[in-house]
Amino acid sequence: MTDALILESVSKLYGDFQAVDSLSLRIPRGSVYGFLGPNGAGKTTTLRMILEIIRPTSGTISVLGAPSALQVRDRIGYLPEEKGLYKKMKAWSTIAYFASLKGMGRKAAKTRAFELLEQYGLGDFAESKTEALSKGMQQKVQVLASIAHKPEFVILDEPFSGLDPVNQEVMEEVIRDMSSAGATVLFSTHVMSHAERICDRFVLIAKGASLFDGTVDEAKALMPRRVLIESAGDLSSLEQLPFVKSVQEDLNQPGLHEYRLKPDADPHHLLDAAYEKGIRLTRFDRSEPSLHDIFVHMVGPEAREATVR
Amino acid sequence: MRYAYLIAVREYLENVKTKGFWIGILLFPVILLASIKVTRFLEEEATPTRNFVLADFTGELEAVIDQGLNRSHQWRVFSAASDYVSKHTRKEFARKQIEEMDLEKIPSSVIDAMKSMRQEEDARFEGFLNSSDPKAWIRMMADSGVLVEDRPDFESPRPKFSRIPTPDWLDMNQSFKEVRALLKERLDESNPSDEKDLFAAVVIPDGILTPSKSNLLQLMGARPKEVEYWSINQADFDLRDSIRRALDRELQRRLYATEGLDEELIKNIQSDRVPVVSLDPKKKEGEEEVSLADTIRQYVPIGFVYLLWISLMSVVQMLLNNTVEEKSNRIVEVLLSSVTAGELMAGKLFGIACVGFTMLFAWIAALLGILHWHAGPEAEFVTKLLDIIENSGLLWIFLAYFLMAYLLYSGIFLAIGSVCSTIKDAQNFMGPVMIIMMVPLLTMMFIPKDPHGTLATVLSWIPIYTPFVMLNRAAANPPLFDIVGTTILGFVSVVVVIWLAGKVFRTAILRTGQAPRLVELWRWLKG
Repeated sequence: MTDALILESVSKLYGDFQAVDSLSLRIPRGSVYGFLGPNGAGKTTTLRMILEIIRPTSGTISVLGAPSALQVRDRIGYLPEEKGLYKKMKAWSTIAYFASLKGMGRKAAKTRAFELLEQYGLGDFAESKTEALSKGMQQKVQVLASIAHKPEFVILDEPFSGLDPVNQEVMEEVIRDMSSAGATVLFSTHVMSHAERICDRFVLIAKGASLFDGTVDEAKALMPRRVLIESAGDLSSLEQLPFVKSVQEDLNQPGLHEYRLKPDADPHHLLDAAYEKGIRLTRFDRSEPSLHDIFVHMVGPEAREATVR
Repeated sequence: MRYAYLIAVREYLENVKTKGFWIGILLFPVILLASIKVTRFLEEEATPTRNFVLADFTGELEAVIDQGLNRSHQWRVFSAASDYVSKHTRKEFARKQIEEMDLEKIPSSVIDAMKSMRQEEDARFEGFLNSSDPKAWIRMMADSGVLVEDRPDFESPRPKFSRIPTPDWLDMNQSFKEVRALLKERLDESNPSDEKDLFAAVVIPDGILTPSKSNLLQLMGARPKEVEYWSINQADFDLRDSIRRALDRELQRRLYATEGLDEELIKNIQSDRVPVVSLDPKKKEGEEEVSLADTIRQYVPIGFVYLLWISLMSVVQMLLNNTVEEKSNRIVEVLLSSVTAGELMAGKLFGIACVGFTMLFAWIAALLGILHWHAGPEAEFVTKLLDIIENSGLLWIFLAYFLMAYLLYSGIFLAIGSVCSTIKDAQNFMGPVMIIMMVPLLTMMFIPKDPHGTLATVLSWIPIYTPFVMLNRAAANPPLFDIVGTTILGFVSVVVVIWLAGKVFRTAILRTGQAPRLVELWRWLKG
């Protein structure tokens, strides 16, 4: 089976501005793929190119095996970054309309709309005009509208933005439901905790270029390991160990040291060495780097410099 | 195609389902009807009888003025009586009367005759007024069974103006200056809506009508004294004109007398007319006379041009609003992930076009409905008018030009909508477009008078004006070259405009933020 999405050195130029810089990407079918990056990194531009709303300046894109998303548009679902609905349309007819634009029959689309609204707690609002709904509900309606036709490949641009924590969980549930139904999900976000919880793999881009592409664990392995050690004893022998990259003492708390280990080093070796050398530790804290740390580590300087278009 | 159709269906339903749309449709004929009824009502019922005081220093003109006012009043009674009769005529009579009336046979000169009837100076009309008694006429019509049985009694309209006898506070032994100062003060305190208050005062200086036999010619235009008309409402000329006419008439009468002329003879001479007949060389032998129907045909296109303009404006406005809404809501992104920009545009154009045709048909249906419900002789007459319009093929010409104008302007408005992120932005673009669109409205009254003149011909060949001006000229049989040429040019422009609009639409519809500068627009058009 081919991948759901293949990008091969895709670039997009707006005049002199390089929005996307020869980006290559493969998304296997059935996976949940995170698309991470700071503001202005080129996420939305890339998603639009995938959908063929805009054309790339160079490079090739293959979606669900087709050279253009237009040929398989009925099998794709899309939620754009900025959310909006027809104000005067009813919730159900909004969902049914977008589903029918994806090739669903009118009756089937209507039934499906009511089903979905019921399933995600909006059953009572099916007949309300969208302008009468709260912002969170409107966003839910839009998400449902983008997946009503049971797409094989769902592209969600910032699906969590503007949702309260409860609805963020509902959104995660929607993504998991889609995934367990066999759909491929690609979503962009800059809130790392969601990505960490639901992504199989993710790609991190900044300034239009890919910085990392892989699983969360692979990303963590790339990060220098940090270990916090607190001890009253002499730690200088530990500092000489070959897998220790650098040590820093916390100025506010004497005796608390942050050890940065070389990549691939196992923090356990540090604990073993302390034991061997008879150093009494009052604290040993090997914290896993979060996706947040990875993000800041990888794109931190660039994100600050990046000019937001 | 299926997607364009789905989009068209949504556009259509969303616009047609709104209350505002139907209110707008119903409002149009209602306002049309109301504007006729209400002005008539205001004129006849709602204005109170206005009082005025006469300060006549000659001491001999009271009767003259009363007579003059009575004549104006008589005219109003007569037209009220004629309305009364036509309102209460048995339907079968009215219908028969109108059915027998063949507009194709009635010469267009009746319009002139009707016009001169309106002018009360017309000496013929004076004779008619003096000899007719509206009440007797109504009785006669009733006796001959023309009128329906259960009808209210005829009520003469109240006089519009009433002269109050010289009040106590006005001492005519005072000087002219003192009297006018007194009147000025009184009038200044009057309330225009109070029936008891003074509405006007007329001050006639002594010797105003004394003619000097020696130099009659010099006298004209150089009368040393003036009649003063003081009024708290300077917009209502009726009283002033009635008084002026009465005094003029009296002056003439006296002059005739001094010169030893026979007044009756002069009146008869004045009311004689040379008959003039309008003939059209294009018509068949023996039927060349220009009929009322011909004249109506000539002017009906003005109504159509106006209708075209109004319907076009409301429809393209809808298109603009929808496009800006989709753009500002970013709905367009979802749409474009499902359909191509071309399909979206085609769907919108087609959907809104259907809204436009629905509106036109609803207007016509509502108009006919109201006329039917308000069935009277007018309805029959309108049916007659519609027959003329239908037989002349103007309706089809109108629909064809509506389509051309719609496609042309909708392309322009769609492009404007796609470059603007907010309605406010769009309004900035709208200003100049509106001014350009006003031209056919400003010229529509002149074009039937000179349908093949330079103005008409030049405007016909400017594609954005073609539908309006050619429709305007349609009844005057414009040269075939103009018809075919402008139509081809028009539809070529439609294709070009839609094609260019498509380019702008595709580029602009996803752009956010500021509207593009002209240079950018030009680049998109080229690229």
